[in-house]
Amino acid sequence: MIPAKYNLRNLRVRWVTTLMTVVATGLVVWATVLAFGLTDSLEYALRISGHPLDLIVLRKGSADETGSGMDQQIAREIATLSGIATGAEGQPLCSIEFATILTKPRRGDGGTTNLIVRGLDEVGRQLRPDFKIVRGRDVKPGLNEAITSERMAQRFENLAIGEKLEINRVDFQIVGYFEAGGSSAESEVWTVLGDLTGARRQSGAVSSVNLRARDPASKETLMNRIQDDEQFNLKVIEETKYFEEQMSASIAIKFVGYVIAAFLTFGAMFAAANTMYAAVASRSREIGTLRALGFRRRSILTSFLLESIFLCLMGGLLGCLATLPFIGLSGGTANWATFSEITFSFRFGPGVLLRGVLMALVMGLLGGLFPAVRAIRMDIVQALREQ
Amino acid sequence: MKSLKYIWRNVTRNKLRTILTVLSVSFSLALMTVLHGYIAMQSVWGTEAKKNNRVVVMNIQGFSGAVPIANVDKVRGVEGVKSAVPYSWYGGDYKEERMPFAQFATDPKEVFNVWDEFSIDPDQLTAWQTDRQGCVVDRQLAEKRGWNIGDRIPIQGTFLPLNLDLKLCGVFDAPKYTDSLWFHWQYLDEGLKQMNSFGSGNSGTIFAKAHSAAAIPGIVETIDSMFASSQNPTRTQTEAAFAQMFADMLGDIQAYIRYISLAVVFALSLVAANGMAMSMRERTTEVAVLKAIGFPRSRVLKMVLGEACLIAVFGGILGIALGCFVLQFLHGISSQFFPIGMADLAGPWLLYLLAIAAGIGIVSGIVPAVRAAQLSVIDGLRRVV
Repeated sequence: MIPAKYNLRNLRVRWVTTLMTVVATGLVVWATVLAFGLTDSLEYALRISGHPLDLIVLRKGSADETGSGMDQQIAREIATLSGIATGAEGQPLCSIEFATILTKPRRGDGGTTNLIVRGLDEVGRQLRPDFKIVRGRDVKPGLNEAITSERMAQRFENLAIGEKLEINRVDFQIVGYFEAGGSSAESEVWTVLGDLTGARRQSGAVSSVNLRARDPASKETLMNRIQDDEQFNLKVIEETKYFEEQMSASIAIKFVGYVIAAFLTFGAMFAAANTMYAAVASRSREIGTLRALGFRRRSILTSFLLESIFLCLMGGLLGCLATLPFIGLSGGTANWATFSEITFSFRFGPGVLLRGVLMALVMGLLGGLFPAVRAIRMDIVQALREQ
Repeated sequence: MKSLKYIWRNVTRNKLRTILTVLSVSFSLALMTVLHGYIAMQSVWGTEAKKNNRVVVMNIQGFSGAVPIANVDKVRGVEGVKSAVPYSWYGGDYKEERMPFAQFATDPKEVFNVWDEFSIDPDQLTAWQTDRQGCVVDRQLAEKRGWNIGDRIPIQGTFLPLNLDLKLCGVFDAPKYTDSLWFHWQYLDEGLKQMNSFGSGNSGTIFAKAHSAAAIPGIVETIDSMFASSQNPTRTQTEAAFAQMFADMLGDIQAYIRYISLAVVFALSLVAANGMAMSMRERTTEVAVLKAIGFPRSRVLKMVLGEACLIAVFGGILGIALGCFVLQFLHGISSQFFPIGMADLAGPWLLYLLAIAAGIGIVSGIVPAVRAAQLSVIDGLRRVV
């Protein structure tokens, strides 16, 4: 085997070319990891929104909360069904909610987009992961107050604490920021059920019922009970599935991520090949010497392949590292299932980083293969005679 | 231009290197074409809409708010308005597909006066106007789905608790693909009324055609002040601004695409510069000879830059062509996410991309070119071993 030191030293001697190739592959990997990170962050927000024991009850035929509606009487009836888990004070974990979509301006020049405003009562908070107020306080009923997440406050006009969000000419004062474990609830504005339906002049309106089953068995029974009741005319979806379906919206972005990865891998592969061909060409005498010394063709091939892989991996790692400043940065785009804004914090999970490194590996391997083959095909005498 | 042959010879000298650089540039530019094509797709409707002098009236709260049907007649009465129709998005599923194309409930009597750039066979139009369950679709949509006149098109409601059983009465031709189906607003509303459902009496949005572009600001003002103190205040905007709202919904995605493009352009410049630098290093002696026989610096500079540009533009053309092909292909497999085909998408942005390719060439050639121009003849000649 030719020691790896040989390759490292070679990379160092030709440092300008090495640096340029490393930076180029790094940029390419960075761009790809960014694109994959975007989908990953979006999907994470949606994935953790669903609790395995939670059910969402909607009008039959509707696809999501914003297009759903039901009689309040029926919603109350659902809360009395058996099999629903109970909270700390013995009340059933069943939340009657009303969600509506408003078109509101983003801060800066971000244009307008749709925003989900949800009216719900105390119990709904226990159905979200890790709900807590992080600044200000929670809303009080009857006062037309609202809370939202800090991220939303930064993105939208009129959503910071102390500002007023107008809903059908009723001003809702923002009194606090909440967190809900990074779930999609953090992309919403919350107020009291009665206050919201009052402002929307749809008093008594209910769009969905969220509830938590006591255990998997009672979840089954509850689902059948609600689904089969002709009078209800409702449909039940498991919360995990509900949010999974919303991910379909991110499929397009995910797809774009793969398109980016594929094109850039090819692009960078040719660049790596170029660098490696030059490396082989300028080292033909060395290669000839190595062969004359008795190194096997196989070990020369491995050596050049390793050099190419190492070159690209350095770029890949650099690219992955360059995404660090993006972690935690908030972003937002449309959730095409509800046509409203969904915000997220950037995260680059191990899967995403792995894809970036894998991409660099492929570049190095494919880009180095042909130059390495050229290196071992050289005739020893010819190679030694080169300048 | 006498140097062109010399440049060309140099480009083709190390064919492998040139091909690799060209391919590298072209794959990356193909990607940029796809990404920018996607962004351009978002603005096609808005650009197109500017020509058509239409305004859109919606509830000030957004799409979840109602615009009462009585408002349509009031809008028709506004000075400068040629015609107005209710235009209610239905968002239904077709067979097993979730919202595969757009369906709108509208007024068949007037809708072709509002979209007067669309054309339809007069007999088909009459047939549609007289059939309450009739519908018309974009010709391209009918062709794609293989629908014929008289076919039944069942659609399941998702936002509204009503399923539609429509009959295809005609196809219309639009300047740009609309992906739309139009049916009677009355049919929808009567169904909703029977079920005592919410959403009845709601026109959704109102599209109004103005007599002239000059009348639009006045129309917008009149309509909004007319309903300002009603139960449902309205927001009226031009169709272009309305279209922009949808593009805005993409949010930060456009910014990310810009970041990615920037990174790609920068990476490409490095790749191309690397290739160029390698070539020039091999040619030091030649450059010295050129200068020794009297080539001025500026000419040497231009020749090297020309070579770099030629390679990059070559890659650019190849890449843009590949990108257009990919966009057309994506449009073919998913018209939901890629609603506009290449024929309607081609525009100045393609030239802009080509300019970027040329720019990459210049940037990548600049260091090697300056070096070659400044090369001392003696040093260069001495390098001969």
